[in-house]
Amino acid sequence: MRLLPNPAHRDLLGLLLRLVLGGVVLVAGALKVGHLETSARAVRAYQLLPFDLAGVVGYGLPVLELAIGALLLLGLFTRVSAVVAGLLMVAFIIGIASAWARGLSIDCGCFGNGGTIAASQTQYPQEIARDIGLFACAAWLAVRPRSAVSLDRLLSPAAPARTTSTTSTRSTR
Amino acid sequence: MSKATADRKAADRRAKIEAATAQQRRAATTKIVVAAVVVVLVIVGVVGAVLLGSSDKQAATTAGGSALPKGAAAMGAGIVVNPGAPANVPTLDLYEDFQCPVCGEFERIFGVQLKDLVRQNQVKLVSHTLSFLDDNLRNDSSNRAANAAACAADAGKFLQYHAAVFQGQPAKEGTGYTDAQLEDFAGKAGITGGAMTTWQTCYKDRTHNQWVESVQTQSEKDGVNGTPTVKLNGETLSLSGLTQASLADKIKAATK
Repeated sequence: MRLLPNPAHRDLLGLLLRLVLGGVVLVAGALKVGHLETSARAVRAYQLLPFDLAGVVGYGLPVLELAIGALLLLGLFTRVSAVVAGLLMVAFIIGIASAWARGLSIDCGCFGNGGTIAASQTQYPQEIARDIGLFACAAWLAVRPRSAVSLDRLLSPAAPARTTSTTSTRSTR
Repeated sequence: MSKATADRKAADRRAKIEAATAQQRRAATTKIVVAAVVVVLVIVGVVGAVLLGSSDKQAATTAGGSALPKGAAAMGAGIVVNPGAPANVPTLDLYEDFQCPVCGEFERIFGVQLKDLVRQNQVKLVSHTLSFLDDNLRNDSSNRAANAAACAADAGKFLQYHAAVFQGQPAKEGTGYTDAQLEDFAGKAGITGGAMTTWQTCYKDRTHNQWVESVQTQSEKDGVNGTPTVKLNGETLSLSGLTQASLADKIKAATK
């Protein structure tokens, strides 16, 4: 890690990525959770899932996003949350790319709304670019979940820090 | 270093390690408990949302009456405005939500032309009155307007009612329609006297509500995810660049 040799700096970067990824995912969930029927319709607009399954995904996804977003913001179970968020991004990228490839003109429905829009209003490249960026945040956090100001640290105070200090004390003696 | 001192140091170290291990074990237990609580909360939330969404949908689709309005052949089917159209003319399916501003714009451009085409039976017009914007806009105006239009269809005044609603569409999307406005539109559509009394009862009882909901559901199953959607003989027409002239050409070309 030549760019950020100081682990404290990497922890700060982790915090920043957590806030960006968690913030976006939380907002996406919050904007949809009060409009479950619209969310279901947005999923159906992709024409990838059977009618009823698309409904279940549409109803369930906003709450899942709220939960993952909140966990990332709090820094609680960062690795698991980041893996789930990363998988969601992969699913979103596949969905948007497939809609684009099949020539559908839909709004991704990422932050509410969704459904068919005029072909000139589609924003597939931007939507995919955004999700790739968010996937990168998730990938970093999945590989290196340690970050500054997190509940994870509060929850396991002894584990990494003190063990190293005991071993180091022992080895210097 | 005496043996006693060495022993004491060893014991000291062991005690420290044991204390650290115990602390780690406690921390691990706390973490498992928190994880379990979080997982349960997430599952309850997701499952709860799915059940809530499904039951809301169920409640909406079973409210009101199940009667078909005049011109609708079945649940989920649109209203055939001119059933007398000859077999050689193409079918034009119109999917609109009365709260959709672009639908209002479509009506301003093509409304009179469609009325003429229907009067001359040059096209078989099928109208699907959708109501999905209600969830978006947090009101029930699309549903009520669709119910009101279905009641107008019973009076044989569907297209007139349809025109009156779009003429009275609020400038700001989401303002919606009051019951009084919807009744006013019925008057503008030419529903009077006894027919008006029938319309009022029909609207108040939501006689056609289950049909209204079925049209919304069916349109989603048919891949209609936005309004206005216009299909000519089942083919979705691109609305960008569509003019009265090009629509007329397309209809002529589709006529056998």
